[in-house]
Amino acid sequence: MPKRLQTALYYITATGISLVFILPLVWMISASLRQTGQPPPRGIEWIPNPIMWDNYRRIFEIIPLIRYILNSLVVAGSAIPITLLTASLAGFGMSQLGTPKRSLLLTITVGLLIVPVTSLWLTRFLLFSWLGLIDNPLALIAPALMGSSPLFILLFYWTFRRIPAEVYESARLDGAGAFSTWWYVALPQSRPTAISVTILTFMFYWNDFINPLLYLKSEKFYTLAVGLQQLQQLDNTNWPILMAASAVMIIPTLILFTILQPNFLSDERLSGLIGH
Amino acid sequence: MLLPYLLFSIALVGLPVLISFGLAFFKYDAISPPIWNGLFNFTETFSDPLFKIATLNSLFFVGLAVPLRLFGALLLALLLNQPRRGTGLFRAAIVLPTVIPDMAYALIALWFFNPFYGPLNIILKTLHLPAPFWLTDPTTAKLALVLMSLLQIGEGFVLLLAGLKDISRDYFDAAAVDGCGRWQIFRHITLPFLRPWLVLLTFRDVILSFQSTFVPGYVMTGGGPYYGTFFLPLMIYEEAFDRFRFGNGSVLMLFMFLLTMGLLLVLYMLFKGWGHDDA
Repeated sequence: MPKRLQTALYYITATGISLVFILPLVWMISASLRQTGQPPPRGIEWIPNPIMWDNYRRIFEIIPLIRYILNSLVVAGSAIPITLLTASLAGFGMSQLGTPKRSLLLTITVGLLIVPVTSLWLTRFLLFSWLGLIDNPLALIAPALMGSSPLFILLFYWTFRRIPAEVYESARLDGAGAFSTWWYVALPQSRPTAISVTILTFMFYWNDFINPLLYLKSEKFYTLAVGLQQLQQLDNTNWPILMAASAVMIIPTLILFTILQPNFLSDERLSGLIGH
Repeated sequence: MLLPYLLFSIALVGLPVLISFGLAFFKYDAISPPIWNGLFNFTETFSDPLFKIATLNSLFFVGLAVPLRLFGALLLALLLNQPRRGTGLFRAAIVLPTVIPDMAYALIALWFFNPFYGPLNIILKTLHLPAPFWLTDPTTAKLALVLMSLLQIGEGFVLLLAGLKDISRDYFDAAAVDGCGRWQIFRHITLPFLRPWLVLLTFRDVILSFQSTFVPGYVMTGGGPYYGTFFLPLMIYEEAFDRFRFGNGSVLMLFMFLLTMGLLLVLYMLFKGWGHDDA
């Protein structure tokens, strides 16, 4: 096949596939701007007529959306520093251990990664209710104490392993203890990892629907995910309103994804992701 | 330094798993003290007709979604592996649906599959293709949930891209010198090198697919129509949090846990067999 034809084929296929992945979002935006109560469109409606920016104002009146957004931000905002602290400490601790202990901890961490969350719902609920944490936002933040996800611990562990042993050794010879080595030597070298973990942690808590559903009762603590469900229960066929609210929930994620994306998707980073 | 992580992992994962193990033998409603119930929870749960439906539905979803998702992620990773101008944008487009919050994604899908307002049927109608009622028919509802899971394959895609980047160029160059065709290169170099990542992904996807049916099943269809999207996680939720039968819920959790592990074991055997002929 001639090279030029090959290139053309590549771009046609890649564009076509990308559109499949993006179009639902584009249509969601256009659906969110439709006038409520209009009959179904006859064809794909790219730009609704009239354009109802007002839908985005109305969702804030139908449910206390600002409060829900703030709640979500508070939960994610408190979980991020705790997660960074626990995960980087654990990752650093693991990177400094000798082989048998390290392999054991790696096995435990991977084991934690494959425990299905569904097998935790019920007993965590009981645990939290014995501790009086039901209907308390603290129940939502609790996973941060174990680093939110074992994956984050592994990410830090991989980063710290890549720092040459001599660097740690010279810090030790200078009389630095474990904690000061972690703080002054290891952490400053893990900026890209810390940024990735921060963003992933934010998404983890911002997206979380199941935990607030299980552990929260009062409306005043609701996070945005539960608020969206509330909106759906109020009027489950009011598509413009539902799509506008979904768009509001997606926007912060999209912004963060745009920031994070070169960290994961560029060729150089991808080669370093697994690395030897 | 590892103390907080290990301590809270025990408190938030280890302990709950142990408690649910014990709770399966008790009658407990979270209000009155638990009563010893022997194996009654087990016999009651396993003879519930809904139990069979939920298990089969879950297995259907996992059996269909996991291979399709893996295959899709692999194809896309192979396609978008070559560094070319604009490839970064294409890659970002593929990962985009994966980062959308579950709740928002479920609402978008609910609208997308709507027979009258949703764009899917509008397209199908303009192409004069059959336009099913999707979420209001038990069979197509399950398919719709599988379809929507096929766009959320960003994680596997990124992992496989990284796996491809990890293969040294020398191997491909040597193969090209030896006059190997594309298929041969794929079969004898790419695939064997990707094998550990594919195995890892399959395991992770089986685990995730069992539980990822909860949000769409709960939000979009409520398990219906006619229990067409009634999956095991939804049944656990209803037993425990709607009917306060924590003992029966624990039985189901244990069952789902063992079912997942059993499936992983079978897959592990299969992969071991596969490993021999290309090692």
